[in-house]
Amino acid sequence: MNTIFNSAQRRFLSIIYLLFLSSLLNLNSASAQDAEKTFKLYCGVCHSTGANKLVGPGLEGVSKRVPSDAWMTKWIKNSQEVIQSGDVYGKKILKENNGVGMPPFVFLKDEDIASLVTFTKTLTKKEGTASKGTDTGSKKGVNPIALLLGIIAVLIIIIGVLRGIKHSLKNIQNEKQGIPKEEAVGPWKEVKMWIGLHKRITAVLILFFIGGLLSACWYALMGIGVYTGYQPSQPLSFSHKIHAGANAINCVYCHSGAEKSKTAGLPSVSICMNCHKGISKGPITGTVEIAKIYDAAGWDPNLGAYTKPQKPVQWVKVNVLADFVFFSHQLHVVIGKQACAACHGDLKTMDAVKQVQPLTMVWCINCHRTTEVPGIKDNPYYESLHKKLAEKYKGQPITVDKIGGIECGKCHY
Amino acid sequence: MKNKKVKGRIESLNIPPLSLGEGIKGRGLGDLTEIKYWKGLEELNNSPGFVKKVNDEFAEQMPIDKFLGEDNLTLDNGTNRRDFLKFLGFSLTAASLAACETPVNKVIPYVITPEEITPGNANWYASTYFDGKDYAPILVKTREGRPIKISGNSLSKITNGAVNCRVQASVLSLYDSSRLTGPIAGGKAETWQNADKKIISKLSAVCAKGGSIRILSSSIISPSTKAVIDDFVLKYPSAKLVTYDAVSFSGITNANAQTFGQGIIPTYHFENAQIIVSIAADFLGGWIENFSMAYAKNRKVSKEKAVMSKHYQFESNLSLTGANADERIPVKVSEQGKAAVNLFNAVAKIAGVSPLPSSELQCDAVISKIAGELMANKGKSIVICGSNDTNIQLIINEINTLIGSYGKTIDLENPSYLNKSNDKAFADLTSEMASGKVDAIITYNTNPVYSAPASLKFAEAYNKVGLRISLADRADETASSAHYICPDHHYLESWNDFNPRKAHYSLAQPAITPLFTGLNSGTRQAQESLLIWAGNTSDYHSYIQKIWAERVFPMQGKYMNFTEFWNNSLRDGAIEVGKGDAEEVKKDSLKFKIQSSKLKEGNLIPAQETLNRKPETNLREAAKKINAVMGGEFELALYEKTAIGNGNQANNPWLQELPDPISKITWDNYVTMSPVEMKKKGFNLMESQDIEASVVKVTVNGLTIELPVIPQPGQAKGTVGIALGYGRDKAGKLSIQTGSVIGKNAFPFVQFTEGTFIYSALDVKIESAAKTAKIAGTQIHHTLMGRDIVKETSLENYKKNPKSGNKDEILVTQSVSKKASSIDLWDEHEKPGHRWGITIDLNSCIGCAACVVSCTAENNVAVVGKDQVMKTREMHWLRIDRYYSSDMNEKTADEEGIGRGNMYREMETPSAVNPKVVFQPMMCQHCNHAPCETVCPVLATNHSSEGLNTMAYNRCIGTRYCANNCPYKVRRFNWFNYNGNSDFAFNPTQDDLGRMVLNPDVTIRSRGVMEKCSMCVQRIQAGKLDAKKAERKLVDGDVNIACAEVCPTNAIIFGDLNDADSAISKLRKQEAEERNYFILEELGIKPTVSYLAKVRNCEGTIEEAKSNLPG
Repeated sequence: MNTIFNSAQRRFLSIIYLLFLSSLLNLNSASAQDAEKTFKLYCGVCHSTGANKLVGPGLEGVSKRVPSDAWMTKWIKNSQEVIQSGDVYGKKILKENNGVGMPPFVFLKDEDIASLVTFTKTLTKKEGTASKGTDTGSKKGVNPIALLLGIIAVLIIIIGVLRGIKHSLKNIQNEKQGIPKEEAVGPWKEVKMWIGLHKRITAVLILFFIGGLLSACWYALMGIGVYTGYQPSQPLSFSHKIHAGANAINCVYCHSGAEKSKTAGLPSVSICMNCHKGISKGPITGTVEIAKIYDAAGWDPNLGAYTKPQKPVQWVKVNVLADFVFFSHQLHVVIGKQACAACHGDLKTMDAVKQVQPLTMVWCINCHRTTEVPGIKDNPYYESLHKKLAEKYKGQPITVDKIGGIECGKCHY
Repeated sequence: MKNKKVKGRIESLNIPPLSLGEGIKGRGLGDLTEIKYWKGLEELNNSPGFVKKVNDEFAEQMPIDKFLGEDNLTLDNGTNRRDFLKFLGFSLTAASLAACETPVNKVIPYVITPEEITPGNANWYASTYFDGKDYAPILVKTREGRPIKISGNSLSKITNGAVNCRVQASVLSLYDSSRLTGPIAGGKAETWQNADKKIISKLSAVCAKGGSIRILSSSIISPSTKAVIDDFVLKYPSAKLVTYDAVSFSGITNANAQTFGQGIIPTYHFENAQIIVSIAADFLGGWIENFSMAYAKNRKVSKEKAVMSKHYQFESNLSLTGANADERIPVKVSEQGKAAVNLFNAVAKIAGVSPLPSSELQCDAVISKIAGELMANKGKSIVICGSNDTNIQLIINEINTLIGSYGKTIDLENPSYLNKSNDKAFADLTSEMASGKVDAIITYNTNPVYSAPASLKFAEAYNKVGLRISLADRADETASSAHYICPDHHYLESWNDFNPRKAHYSLAQPAITPLFTGLNSGTRQAQESLLIWAGNTSDYHSYIQKIWAERVFPMQGKYMNFTEFWNNSLRDGAIEVGKGDAEEVKKDSLKFKIQSSKLKEGNLIPAQETLNRKPETNLREAAKKINAVMGGEFELALYEKTAIGNGNQANNPWLQELPDPISKITWDNYVTMSPVEMKKKGFNLMESQDIEASVVKVTVNGLTIELPVIPQPGQAKGTVGIALGYGRDKAGKLSIQTGSVIGKNAFPFVQFTEGTFIYSALDVKIESAAKTAKIAGTQIHHTLMGRDIVKETSLENYKKNPKSGNKDEILVTQSVSKKASSIDLWDEHEKPGHRWGITIDLNSCIGCAACVVSCTAENNVAVVGKDQVMKTREMHWLRIDRYYSSDMNEKTADEEGIGRGNMYREMETPSAVNPKVVFQPMMCQHCNHAPCETVCPVLATNHSSEGLNTMAYNRCIGTRYCANNCPYKVRRFNWFNYNGNSDFAFNPTQDDLGRMVLNPDVTIRSRGVMEKCSMCVQRIQAGKLDAKKAERKLVDGDVNIACAEVCPTNAIIFGDLNDADSAISKLRKQEAEERNYFILEELGIKPTVSYLAKVRNCEGTIEEAKSNLPG
């Protein structure tokens, strides 16, 4: 994901991309999303969308394995019935899974099951199974720039062809009217002629072009070091969506530093082990990723003891502030009463963590200019300061910048 | 600067001749165009060097080759313009390409987070520093398990939290990559297992054949270590401990043994002394203990308490203590003992005791005056002497008896255990070794090959010992010729206990896991090594606990069970227990015959009645010997520098770069000499930084070393001084990184006479070596030149008028004369919340430089090395300016009819014979109308709403306008990337280990960036945060800055000026119309830092005192 584009550019490109592609792509997004939701809710606990086995088999390419859609529908509704009916394939699957059968889902509506069946058809083999779910547009194979260039090339070709046709038509017409044949004018010469006729427009266009180029440079430069949307792949594909979202674990359970230190900190593997001693299988990746925790902690799940050497997990940092900025989590979380999501985005919906805010100084300052200082009225620390400021600003909200929150020396030292 | 052509005119101008130079010439100010100003002596003399330089735009060749780095790129010796452009273009492209890529940052959390660690928060541990000399209970600040800062533990009743610069810098010595990482046998790495096996078998063999084993150590004050040695002796009965300190005080021990039958060093109580007479004892520098805090207690004055102690100092070198004395009397080394005898006689005369034979001295008049004052302040005065000569100390004991010091200012009942060196025993050991009578020697925490006097020929004797084992942490001068080096832990990695004084104990605990560990390599606590060799496998931690349970626990009555006692002692670091070590008192009580109860009454009791002294003939003998001492043309006084001490931390770049408080010279030792005599001998007087110092050959008893000689105002005529602790060729990598061994070793000059080491030599030959050497000093102007930067008054005048020394700066405007501070060109910055400020009491500041090291450690200040210091590029955010008084002042000039031009010229020269000295800590003054802020083109430096002048490094583009516009010259520019450029490899930031000492809360500055004192803004922010979180008001003491935190005399006071209850607010309010002043207030820049004028306890006015100096 190391791209040189900043968010503005990416947004711009994706708009063009969407404009050109909206007619080509036909995503039945609403029903697909519902099916995915249903899948996660009922199936995902035992089945992965990949090839790996959790409790039941991985469902990658399942639509090609099973006899028919109808069989699939029956199987989902009540697999025991299918087996008892003497179905060969059903018996084979039961045998493959050591006789552990799939529970019946009779309570599911027929259309839900139908959409699930459709959904399973999308589970074809993918390259790189590590990252799942919310992939960004730019990741979907087609390079938007190449696409744009292609379209421009096509347009140029079309213009050229049309010009040729126009020229031939005119010649035919001229021939009919007895006017001598017009010499074919090269496109370049024609452009030159056009420029000769429209000097002012050309000047304005050139100015626009230069202006556009400069502003593009400016934005490109401003984007250096800004990595909004940065979503590196991690050595251990931990999902916040499952932990903070589905299981609603409080952020500070793992990031305990957020309330008592400058850094929120990453949890040590020992914190993971508090729960994962008992939970060795996950809904998405099954045992694969959790095994990495065991590996790091030196835990032998078979013996149920810490017997192996410890290997700390080397996470890739997502939200990186420059070294010369001093940001204190406890100041923002405890005193500033900011929600984690204010800077980190809604992690409850993210599998892999993504940088959602630009983390630029203007972003910091804008927030400091608009956020009222929490507790300025009742925290005894602010007592005398509040008295003076209330008098000065007479009823205006006392925002962070009014207590010196945008001074250089507050963050840079 | 002087004008020959129109002399009268320039005199009437009355402008301090700062370098107006070319400016005025060029502007064509009428007649003034005629005036020729000289930029310096070189221009006046038109020296060839000057003529050559004058046409060059730049003082020297631009160092393009250097900054292009790689030597092989510039082999053709001349980078041309094309190459330069190529490099430029390439770097630009590389930089922009590099900027486009997302750097991947890894975060590696603990596998199991230690319970006490929250990443990002500091932990503090109480521990103790003792290196055989300096003792200090300390607090160690650790971040993520790394010690990064040391400050004093105020729970200690001995030091009360005072730490000197060496103790603070010791945290960097922990990360010294010159330390050994495992045992060495015969120059090769060995495993502990094998080394132990071989050592045990060899020791057993020596013991079996009845050979003698010696443990040579510096002073040991650890009860457990002593027990370990006892265990060792039990296993190897022929073993014996010999105590040897590089700088010894055994003269005092010997004298006390003779006078009181008890070979001890008493505890000195300077806080109880009104009259302090010190004969060459540098008790604020390195004499016995850190007495700064006790001394300063009686030096603080206020309108209510307008009394202070009076301090007389007789000495040859100008020491830190001498610089602080109210009256300093320069005497030759050979006269120091005579001064003591004459002082005794003068006191005896008043007391009616028979006098001793004496010889006449120039300063006899002062001595009898002092005697009168001493007798008038019986029981409230103290006389001490820095000489290690038993005879002189005997006389001093007698004087103290006559003036009733014992029981009042000198406590014999609670002796100090810090210095136990037995010089005689060491000399005997050396001769035993030389004659081959010693079969095995173990050296612990001592380096005698480096520090023993030349006359003892220790190195030769040492090499004759069959088995040489060293417990040193590095292959130093002694260890490198040992058979086995079994490296000890650094003290911050060790357990230990200490008993510095009767009834006082402290503990050292590891603040970090040993840096060098391995299954069979790594370092190992020396005590554990000894225990293993003695066949005891218990670890030292439990060993100490056992000793404490047996010996210390029973002495106290506070805790019921041992675990509770131990945990609390460990938390507190330093404790005082009941009556102290009953054992030692019992052992010595028979010998201890002083009837202290009578002495405590403070009345003068004829000595014979109280003390079971030796017959008076002993004294006469001593006096006779003292009077017989005669010096040659030059006498040498050896001394310890504040930063380097005895040289055990010579590999510490922080200490090497710390300017000597007196000479302001870094990275070197040198010969100090009176400027008058230097002139006579034709040596360079070093009027400016680029004039190199003459090198001289110093010869004592046929031993010669070559050292540069520097002019030292106040150096007694006929004497020279050389600092010990330098010239360590095997201290570590620093000498390799800086290109040469730093300084020369002066320890060989130490004399061994009458059973003690004498740190002086009486017949010294000084010859020119016809060479010059570069000297890196941080201060080029040595006098105040009549400016009111340091304000001072005499105690007498202060009593009459507390504002006497602090004249207001008056500005004369068109209409009225106004106080400078009342005129304001700008609008005041609003400071609704806090308003931080610093006030520095110049009367308390002794110039010890503890604050400078504290600042360096706290703020990651770079070390720049000798060459850069010479270019005035040192990076210290806080410097201590030292000014000498000059013989010239306006009054003298008027009286003698000297013109202003000549007057200012002469004012530049410090008074050569006996100048008064002032110290002034100088850091960013955080001006409210800061001149630096208005000139910054990018607003990198600006004002905060809390009164701080803040510096945003990432914004700075390095124009240096701010530094040019700063009247205090406190801004520091990063001329190089000190953290990456291999020319500065000695910088701790360039070493994987050294980097661990950095404070993660302060940015590392890069090349091209300006920096300066931030008033420890990181601490302010942290303190505020804590208060906000606790939902309470921030109170005085919640925040303290690094310099104020360690100041042993509390000269620096920091606090919130908007808080009426803070100490600083109260002090400023009280002193507002008395001693409080702002430096250069007349510029209208409204500094935030204020100073309190100095008060000297001398007669008459300061000017009178200056012109009526003795000597």
